[in-house]
Amino acid sequence: MLSVFCSGEVVCEPPNNKLDRFSGTLYWKESKFPLSNQNMLLRGCVLRNTEWCFGLVVFAGPDTKLMQNSGRTKFKRTSIDRLMNTLVLWIFGFLVCMGVILAIGNAIWEHEVGMRFQAYLPWDEAVDSAFFSGFLSFWSYIIILNTVVPISLYVSVEVIRLGHSYFINWDKKMFCMKKRTPAEARTTTLNEELGQVEYVFSDKTGTLTQNIMVFNKCSISGRSYGDVLDVLGHKAELGQKPEPVDFSFNPLADNKFLFWDPTLLEAVKMGDPHTHEFFRLLSLCHTVMSEEKNEGELYYKAQSPDEGALVTAARNFGFVFRSRTPKTITVHEMGTAVTYQLLAILDFNNIRKRMSVIVRNPEGRIRLYCKGADTILLDRLHPCTQELLSTTTDHLNEYAGEGLRTLVLAYKDLDEEYYGEWAQRRLRASLARDSREDRLASVYEEVESNMVLLGATAIEDKLQQGVPETIALLTLANIKIWVLTGDKQETAVNIGYSCKMLTDDMTEVFVVTGHTVLEVREELRKAREKMLDSPHAVGNGFTCSEKRSAKLTSVLEAVAGEYALVINGHSLAHALEADMELEFLETACACKAVICCRVTPLQKAQVVELVKKHKKAVTLAIGDGANDVSMIKTAHIGVGISGQEGIQAVLASDYSFSQFKFLQRLLLVHGRWSYLRMCKFLCYFFYKNFAFTMVHFWFGFFCGFSAQTVYDQYFITLYNIVYTSLPVLAMGVFDQDVPEQRSMEYPKLYEPGQLNLLFNKREFFICIAQGIYTSVLMFFIPYGVFAEATRDDGTQLADYQSFAVTVATSLVIVVSVQIGLDTGYWTAINHFFIWGSLAIYFAILFAMHSNGLFDMFPNQFRFVGNAQNTLAQPTVWLTITLTTVVCIMPVVAFRFLKLSLKPDLSDTVRYTQLVRKKQKAQHRCLRRVGRTSSRRSGYAFSHQEGFGELIMSGKNMRLSSLALASFTTRSSSSWIESLRRKKSDSAGSPSGGADKPLKG
Amino acid sequence: MKRTSKDSRCKLPDNTALKQQQLPAYQLQLSATGVLSGFFATGVFCLGVGIILILSAKSIKEIEIKYTEICGNCAKLREDATNFDKECTCSIPFYLSETMQGNVYMYYKLYGFYQNLYHYILSRSNSQLVGTDLKDVGNCAPFSKSHDGTPIAPCGAIANSIFNDTIILSYNLNSSIPIKVPMLRSGITWWTDKYVKFQNPSSINLSSAFAGTTKPPSWAKPVYELDEEDPGNNGFLNDDFIVWMRTAAFPTFKKLYRRLNRIQYFTEGLPAGNYSFNITYSSSLFLGLAYTVTGAVTWLASFSMMAVHLLLKDRKMLFIQQ
Repeated sequence: MLSVFCSGEVVCEPPNNKLDRFSGTLYWKESKFPLSNQNMLLRGCVLRNTEWCFGLVVFAGPDTKLMQNSGRTKFKRTSIDRLMNTLVLWIFGFLVCMGVILAIGNAIWEHEVGMRFQAYLPWDEAVDSAFFSGFLSFWSYIIILNTVVPISLYVSVEVIRLGHSYFINWDKKMFCMKKRTPAEARTTTLNEELGQVEYVFSDKTGTLTQNIMVFNKCSISGRSYGDVLDVLGHKAELGQKPEPVDFSFNPLADNKFLFWDPTLLEAVKMGDPHTHEFFRLLSLCHTVMSEEKNEGELYYKAQSPDEGALVTAARNFGFVFRSRTPKTITVHEMGTAVTYQLLAILDFNNIRKRMSVIVRNPEGRIRLYCKGADTILLDRLHPCTQELLSTTTDHLNEYAGEGLRTLVLAYKDLDEEYYGEWAQRRLRASLARDSREDRLASVYEEVESNMVLLGATAIEDKLQQGVPETIALLTLANIKIWVLTGDKQETAVNIGYSCKMLTDDMTEVFVVTGHTVLEVREELRKAREKMLDSPHAVGNGFTCSEKRSAKLTSVLEAVAGEYALVINGHSLAHALEADMELEFLETACACKAVICCRVTPLQKAQVVELVKKHKKAVTLAIGDGANDVSMIKTAHIGVGISGQEGIQAVLASDYSFSQFKFLQRLLLVHGRWSYLRMCKFLCYFFYKNFAFTMVHFWFGFFCGFSAQTVYDQYFITLYNIVYTSLPVLAMGVFDQDVPEQRSMEYPKLYEPGQLNLLFNKREFFICIAQGIYTSVLMFFIPYGVFAEATRDDGTQLADYQSFAVTVATSLVIVVSVQIGLDTGYWTAINHFFIWGSLAIYFAILFAMHSNGLFDMFPNQFRFVGNAQNTLAQPTVWLTITLTTVVCIMPVVAFRFLKLSLKPDLSDTVRYTQLVRKKQKAQHRCLRRVGRTSSRRSGYAFSHQEGFGELIMSGKNMRLSSLALASFTTRSSSSWIESLRRKKSDSAGSPSGGADKPLKG
Repeated sequence: MKRTSKDSRCKLPDNTALKQQQLPAYQLQLSATGVLSGFFATGVFCLGVGIILILSAKSIKEIEIKYTEICGNCAKLREDATNFDKECTCSIPFYLSETMQGNVYMYYKLYGFYQNLYHYILSRSNSQLVGTDLKDVGNCAPFSKSHDGTPIAPCGAIANSIFNDTIILSYNLNSSIPIKVPMLRSGITWWTDKYVKFQNPSSINLSSAFAGTTKPPSWAKPVYELDEEDPGNNGFLNDDFIVWMRTAAFPTFKKLYRRLNRIQYFTEGLPAGNYSFNITYSSSLFLGLAYTVTGAVTWLASFSMMAVHLLLKDRKMLFIQQ
């Protein structure tokens, strides 16, 4: 085949990111074939129920539409990083300023004083004027004072981040036992940003949900089954589930299927006709394909997991769908094989929201089985079933309240004549040239009426473990969660409800589904007006319609009441245009929850980018699949769910773990701590460098601005590396303000990070001021003492070397006490480092000033004997003590007063914890599910149209797989065409009936 | 950070306190009792130390005599560096109204003499001063070698600018015969300086040891003839020289010159009477004052903090009860 093809040629459009369009032409054997999106298989697609197909790779690698959608990889840096760079530049400017001041001082001094001092110290030969001397002194001071520009800061920051990353990797509570995957920090540079997240963008499938549908409950002729009951017959609480129902009677049962209510099986075994009919419907009315590799080993290939779940349920309850041909369906009903003749499949589409099959059973009776959305189906029932209808409706409400997807099942007997006539009409409609769809729909509509209600099913779209709790907790922490999904609106909204993003307590859920710019704009405007007009709104004066956007923002931020926004992909495309994006953003940000459905990967990234650009907030994107890669890359922080759909998301991510619920721990515990530690670390680091360096500046005024350092050169070398680095590193790695359980209990503790309160320019100036204050005392107290004092034996005290040792010692002690105050969490390691640093300082001091080293290198170790002579003086110790007291006391007083007058939440939490050590801390229970919902679900949501036709044509059956070989022939591929067309239609225009708000 | 090995992906992280961030730790809590008692204690301590220091500083007597102006002629002579070898004496009488009890020290104090200039401090050769290598004058610029290239011993700007006034204190007992007050020129240096940092080069006698070197340009006599009375006080081991070589931290400084030898009339100290020339002594009044002030401020702070704390206590309790 390929060798035959090698003469062909494809001319097509250049690579682009439009998923729904493709145009090209295939030239082969001198004939032209148009290529459209219908002929394309996009990268990432899964080919189902098809053994093989021939294809031609048009684009590969980075040219594929998927990769074109993935966006550029950007270098990610934290906001603290950027702030740090700015600050370092400022500090550099400050350094130059100091250099200039001291250089001017030097020039003046040389001119006024140094000139006369030349007898004792002539100028260097190169220096010919005071001005030139000042110039040289500028450079000398730049070198001496360069320690204000913290070069070791960057290294230390990286070390701390590395430590935090290891803590994430090591966290047992973020280890998924089932998949045996630990959490992984794949980037080490973003940790503290985790403590500042304000917006979380989440994918749905695979992230919030497991993409597993489970047949959970059902209502059969007015009786509800599926509640988990304990021995006494009460509804059991979670966690104490009894044994699942035993399906061993059925050799064809699927072992993985679990059901907890034995009464349903009893009803089946008793031979209750309604129950039998119920499961018969489930085993007949679907588009599932079965495959039996060995006898009894059935595999169902369902195009939507919902259907799979329903057919599997029927299978386990004794109605095993065994095989199908285009015209028949074989079902094992309680062990006996029954073959039904399949007369018609009335396929699903978004408007009908139901599907039906018409079958003839072996006795020859024709029956229509229908399943569909309750809203649609309940109107089409026979009026005689009112009582049953109301009980079933109650059940449906109950199920919907639990976030389950519901379907209503009904049947209708048809007599032979009527069917024959109807089949004729259907054939005519399907052959119609124009408005074939509408005609078919009306034909279908006709037969699907006056049906008899059988019952309802409830399918659980299994959420990942702990998703509602996590979302509730993150919402309490003032993190806004946006769900961006490629799924349909109904599915997304349903999941929104089941994971408690949307609740019935919400004032209103706005749904934006406009197709044109004007519609979308209008819908957004209405939503904003409603928010402002509601009685909850704070600014009641702002009812006028012409509002400037700046004003709007401020007003909308203060909107009371809870709103949610659901927006469709095609509306989003308009909303993201340059002139409307701000309007959209304002509206969306005023809502508590935002759900964007039917979005392309690139739109996901655009939404993230929009928030990133205009809200100045830290964004986090979490997803599991290749379609989330672009958003993961765009957001400040990308999180990949590992062990699911593949590894593209994980590879693009910065953090990965296997369960959505770990996000709360990543943000509220690790992120919060990282941010806190980093901020404390930075504050202290700037403080200690300023305290250290500024002493030289003050000394400059006393040494003729000659760039003489205050300290011994070895002290300068070792100060940042040895004497003060480890305690602050230990603090940066290990510090905790409140224990991890508390940060989960009090999500408000997360807020300082979002507001960037712990390290900003103001905090930076406070640190700098404290550093300068310390340096002033550090210099002038010893100066005041030394100017007058002598040693006890009457000899001189104020020699340069003694002064250097005194200042250095008091500096080391003061910064050690300061780190002791800053360290909130004294582990053994902190103790070791802090005391160790002090010990090391004295050890090195005495070693450097020892006779032995001087004997070996007299010119290098000039301070011989200094330590023992200076530190033996009570005056020196009194000076050091005084300096320490004066430097530290104001800090303690300030912190104490702040604690008393304006305590932070974390202070209060700690304090409360201290007081109530014995009392059990209050536990914030999440509200239990008991929600009575007024909303209903639609038909199995992930279902797509076109499969009925596919089955009836028999093209996907194995026996007719030969037909696939002639893929290129136009005639036989017409069903594929129509399937694809419908697919693209439904992608382009889903759910016309969903324009009205979901609740209202 | 990327883990490549397959099995590390599957391993449950160790359940150690370190890895799970559960290390036992002490949480620093600024409790009211702790802070306030700390403040009061510090206040008491500082006040106590301050008062003791002030009292001890009060008991110390100090007389400072500036002779630059009185001996103006000599000063003028000295201003021209070329006149360094000209003798110039001047006498200043003063009256001591009270006996100076105990040890009496005589200092010289220089105003505006920058011993802490960067180039000045560096301009010395420790290996020369320790006697190992007399020829090592590498760091001594601009006073490393004389014009003819002979290395200077001791080299460098510090040594060259040595304070070389001779001060003799005489006591006029009967207002007629001046008695020379006995003074000790030993024990005015650090032990480590005298025995470790400064050593004469080993040789039969000092003058031969210093052969091949020349005296610093400002010096009148070579280093081995600094003390004519005590031959052991010569060379690099001369006490005045060692004291000068320990550079001062600030431009105004004083250095110990002589100690009173408490013999004859002077066993009790320096009796009251007429003297000529210069006696000084001091301890740090500054430190005492600083401590007193700190103590007082700390006390004030503690009182105000206690007031704040007591005022807020009710509110805080209320908060906890909520």
